[in-house]
Amino acid sequence: MSDVTNADPLARIGEEADLGETMIELQELTKRFPGQETPAVDRLSLKIPKGEIVVFVGPSGCGKTTSLKMINRIIEPSSGHIIMDGEDVTTIDPNHLRRRIGYVIQQIGLFPHIRIGDNIATVPQLLGWDKERTAKRVDELLEVVGLPPDEYRDRFPKELSGGQRQRVGVARALAADPPVLLMDEPFGAIDPITRTRLQNEFLRLQSELQKTIAFVTHDIDEAVKMGDRIAILQEGSRVAQFATPEEILTNPANDFVADFVGTGATLKRLKLTRVREVQPSEALIGRVDEDRETLRRRFDESEWTAMLLLDADGRPLRWLRGTDLRQTSRPLDQVGNRTRAMVEPQATLSDALEEMLLGAAGVAIVVDSRGAYKGLLDIDDIITSIQTMKDAQAEFYRAAKLADPEAEVPA
Amino acid sequence: MAFFTEYLADPRTREALLQQTIEHIYLTAVPILLAVVIGLFLGILAHRSPRLRSPILSLVSTFLTIPSLALFALLIPIVGIGATPAIIALTLYALLPIVRNTVSGLFSVDNAVVESAKGMGMSATMRLWKIELPNAWPVMLAGIRVATLLTVGIAAIAALVGGPGLGQEIFTGIRRIPATGSLESLLGGTLFIVILAVLFDLLYLALGRLTIPRGIRE
Repeated sequence: MSDVTNADPLARIGEEADLGETMIELQELTKRFPGQETPAVDRLSLKIPKGEIVVFVGPSGCGKTTSLKMINRIIEPSSGHIIMDGEDVTTIDPNHLRRRIGYVIQQIGLFPHIRIGDNIATVPQLLGWDKERTAKRVDELLEVVGLPPDEYRDRFPKELSGGQRQRVGVARALAADPPVLLMDEPFGAIDPITRTRLQNEFLRLQSELQKTIAFVTHDIDEAVKMGDRIAILQEGSRVAQFATPEEILTNPANDFVADFVGTGATLKRLKLTRVREVQPSEALIGRVDEDRETLRRRFDESEWTAMLLLDADGRPLRWLRGTDLRQTSRPLDQVGNRTRAMVEPQATLSDALEEMLLGAAGVAIVVDSRGAYKGLLDIDDIITSIQTMKDAQAEFYRAAKLADPEAEVPA
Repeated sequence: MAFFTEYLADPRTREALLQQTIEHIYLTAVPILLAVVIGLFLGILAHRSPRLRSPILSLVSTFLTIPSLALFALLIPIVGIGATPAIIALTLYALLPIVRNTVSGLFSVDNAVVESAKGMGMSATMRLWKIELPNAWPVMLAGIRVATLLTVGIAAIAALVGGPGLGQEIFTGIRRIPATGSLESLLGGTLFIVILAVLFDLLYLALGRLTIPRGIRE
C-alpha cells in the first residue's frame, strides 16, 4: 500500500554534482616516504565537487590521512598535481594556500597559551584583518558553534571540555570563511554522545555554509552519515569505490568494499532513507471541532479499530477507540490514548523505526515542521522498504555471479 | 658567633662586601644574558636540525666537564686577567642547562599544536615565535634559572684570575688561614653568595609569574 520512491535525494545531489563544478581535483597524487619500498599513496586521482562532503574512509594504514594532508601540503606530494578551483596549487607558496583551507584535526591542536578568541582569530590576523572586523567575526563564530561569546571568548583551551574544544577547532577553521575544509577524524576523540551531537550540528552548519569538505574517518558509519560521497580506500590510497553512501551500501563494487561496509548494511541503509521518500498511509481522522455523532458514524462505517483525533490546527491529539466515542461523560480530547511516536519528513527510517518500537503501537505519525498530521507510517512500510533494498542487492549479486560464476553468492 | 657579628658590624667590611656583591651580580648577569642569547640560538638549531643536535649538545656538555679552575686559567693567556676570562668561562658553563632545556622545551610542545599552526598558514618563523617558544618558555625558564644558580656559585672562582666579586673575600680568607679574621672572611663571602642565590631564585619566581601565559601555567 506504500512504495519506496526510487528517486533518492542523495543520489540526485551526486548526479547534479557530476555536471557541476569540481572544487578540488587530485591528479595522480603520489607520496613516497624515504626508505619505504611501496608508496604510501599511489597515483590517487579524485574529483571533489564544490559544496560536497567527500569522506575518505578505509582501514588504518591505507594512506587516507596522508592523502588528506597532501591537499594542504602539510605532507608534500612526491608527484602528481592538486588543482583547486581551477588553479594548480601544487607549487604555490604553501602558507598562502593553507590560509584558504580550513584545517581540523582529531587532536584539535588549539594553542594552549592564548585565549579562545585569539585562537579563532589566528587566520584573520594572518590575513591582516583589522581588529574590529576580527573581533566581530570571532563572536559570530562562537555563536555559530553554540558557545556564548561573552562566556567563552576569554577562556583558555584547558578550561574547556573535549567537545567544546572541538567546536572551537571548527570555528577556528571557519574563521576566514575558506571555501575548502579538511577534516582529519575531527570527532574521533570525543565521547559517542557528544560525537553524535557534533556531527548533527556540523551537518546543519554545512547545509548553510556549503563548503567543499574532504573528511577522513576510519568509521564507515560516520562516513555514511557525513558523506555526500564516500571514497573507500585500499592500501596505497587506491580507490576501491567512489560513490554516494546509498550506492556503496547497496552496490559494493567488490569484496573489499562489501567486507569493509560490513554486515549491518541494511540497517545502515535505513539511515539513508528519509521518511518523506516513503508514501505514508492514511489514518482514520477525526477533528476535535467535529460533531461527536459524525465521528462515531465514521468510525463505525470504517474497518479501523482506532481513530486519530486532530486539534483545530491539524495536530494529532489522541487515539480514540469505539468505547471512547460512545461515552458522553468526558470531552473527546480527554479520553483515549495520547499520541506518541511522531516523526518529521526529514527523519530517517531508522529514526521512525525507533519511534515505532518505543511507542509500542507499531506506527509512527508523520507530521510536518509545525506538527500538523501528514500521514501514518507503519512497520510494514519499513519492511517493504527493506525488501526493495534487498531486491536491489540480490539483483546486483546475480549480475556479479553471471559475470563471475566462481563468485560466492550470499544467501 | 660573636666574632662573626663583630666582623659584619665593621663598616669597612660591610662596604667591601656590598661592593663585591654588586660586582658579583654583574659577574652573574652578564654571562647569563650572553648564554641566553647564544643558548637560544643553539637550542633552536639543535631542535630544527637532527644532524646538528648531537654535536651541539655534546659540545655544551663538554664545557661543563672542564674543571673551572683550569678553564679560568687557560683563558688568561688569551684575554688577560680580570673580569673578561671570568665572563667567558661562566658563559660557557651556563650554556648547557639553557641549550638543553630549550631543546626539550621545544620538543615538549604538542605536535598537534604545531601542525594546526602550520595548517593555518603560519610560516616557520611565525610558528617559532608565536607558538613554539611561548609554549616552550616554562621549561626554558627553568633552564635559565638553573644556569643562574650555577653561575652565582662558580663566579666566586673569578677572584683567582684577578676578577671581581665575592670570591675576593673568600680567597682573602683562604690566603690568611690560620690568621685571625680568615674564617670570618670565608664565611662572609659565602653567606652573601647564598643570599644572592636566594634573591635570584625569587626573581625567577616573579619572572615566571609575569611571563608564563595563564593558559599554560600549572
